[in-house]
Amino acid sequence: MTANADRNAVDQNQDAALIERIRGGEREAFIAFYDRYSSLLFSVAARVLGERKEAEDVLQEVMLVIWNKSGDYDPQLGTLSSWAVAVTRNKALDRLRARTRRLRLIEEAASLAEDSDATAYPSANEIVYGRERAELLRDAMKELPADQRMAIELAFFTGLSQSDIAVRLQQPLGTIKARIRRGMLRLREQLGGAL
Amino acid sequence: MIDETMQEQAAAYALGALDEEQTGAFELSLRADQELRALVRELRSVTEALAGTAPALEPPAAAKLRLLAEIDQQLRAKAPKPAAPESPSSAPASTAGSRPVSAPVSEPVRSPAGVHSGVPVRNVWIPWALAAALALVSLAFLWQGAGLRSQLIAQANRINELTTSAELARAESADLRQAVAKLRASNRLANFRIALLDSLLAASPKTIAVSVWDNERQDGVFIVRNLKPLQGDKDYQLWIIDPKYPSPVDAGVFQVDAKGNVREDFRAKMPIQAANQFAVTIEQKGGAAVPNTKAMVLAGS
Repeated sequence: MTANADRNAVDQNQDAALIERIRGGEREAFIAFYDRYSSLLFSVAARVLGERKEAEDVLQEVMLVIWNKSGDYDPQLGTLSSWAVAVTRNKALDRLRARTRRLRLIEEAASLAEDSDATAYPSANEIVYGRERAELLRDAMKELPADQRMAIELAFFTGLSQSDIAVRLQQPLGTIKARIRRGMLRLREQLGGAL
Repeated sequence: MIDETMQEQAAAYALGALDEEQTGAFELSLRADQELRALVRELRSVTEALAGTAPALEPPAAAKLRLLAEIDQQLRAKAPKPAAPESPSSAPASTAGSRPVSAPVSEPVRSPAGVHSGVPVRNVWIPWALAAALALVSLAFLWQGAGLRSQLIAQANRINELTTSAELARAESADLRQAVAKLRASNRLANFRIALLDSLLAASPKTIAVSVWDNERQDGVFIVRNLKPLQGDKDYQLWIIDPKYPSPVDAGVFQVDAKGNVREDFRAKMPIQAANQFAVTIEQKGGAAVPNTKAMVLAGS
């Protein structure tokens, strides 16, 4: 855990230096960012959209946001990578909302959330952060109660609001809010220094 | 202390699950509460970890090139535009029409200053001529400066092109690795041994090769890219490392084309039980019975 925390601190310092250089219009810094995070962002976009071609377009859009609007990033509210992930997820969801097959993808996302074996594939975390840290993250997700994990994954990957999730899972809104809160806080606790 | 309601909102905010109105209201609270900001920061990292549980995918190489082309275009648009260089012979002509020179030229005609001041007219021209000469010299420097700027910009563009080419090579290598990973994962290829060979030469980091070995048929295909062509008295030799044998098994010699690429079908000189690893060495023409391990250029499993 200490090694993870140390490595994480190094990663964050490197990212802080990187974003400064990108803000200065340094092409090499941008390439370094792309090489480090493109797999993660592409994987997230593909997971949300369920296909690669559109995920490629989202990646392009997100990378241009990083290049042209890095001033929008507020380090007080998260790391550079978590900001990039949020931008990616939102852009992918914008496209998803424009498509009629959203419902089917939501069904697939729900199945993934219900299927504990779905974590058997290599994850984007493994590419970006290495196997050790990826396993820690994966284990933390697996240990989460299924109802909490499902509510969290539906919120993040399908863009459903808490009210929509409540309707879909036929649970009171308060229950869904509590599941998301408990799940997120539990993950924060379990991941600890790995974050 | 953050109460449960705010924790719920923070969790939903980090996940992007609040609607626009709720987001606006929560962000107002965020501005005023440092503890809440710290919580959101941590929860956003949780979200990032969650995002990373998505199945790993590599974007295609073309995506990076498309993006870099866009970035380069933006950089070129932002770069200071060089003054349109004029030929040195045309510079004096255009200078004659500009204000500092034209004013003195017309002045003596309308108002012969030499007469009023008592200075001979021909002497009045000297300072103007000097000024004109200085202006010409300045323009010449300006023209040279513009030329140098153009050269610098051209060089910068060339560097960007070369960088893009290097990126393409790296991206191709990443694509190849991904293709191999997919092939390995495919059940259809259960009888095949697919190996990715990396360069052992610091000077040739872009060299990469793939060996596909069919154990049932006892033959394989070897594909290599960016390997330096050899002189006529040398051959590259492929070896299969099978734990059944005390030394690597000869799998034939090959040459690469001028670009360093080749695709060769190969067979081993001995029956292979398990092709655990592959290696390539540089040997004398025709190959060797045992590998010269000091001249090993590629290896992988």
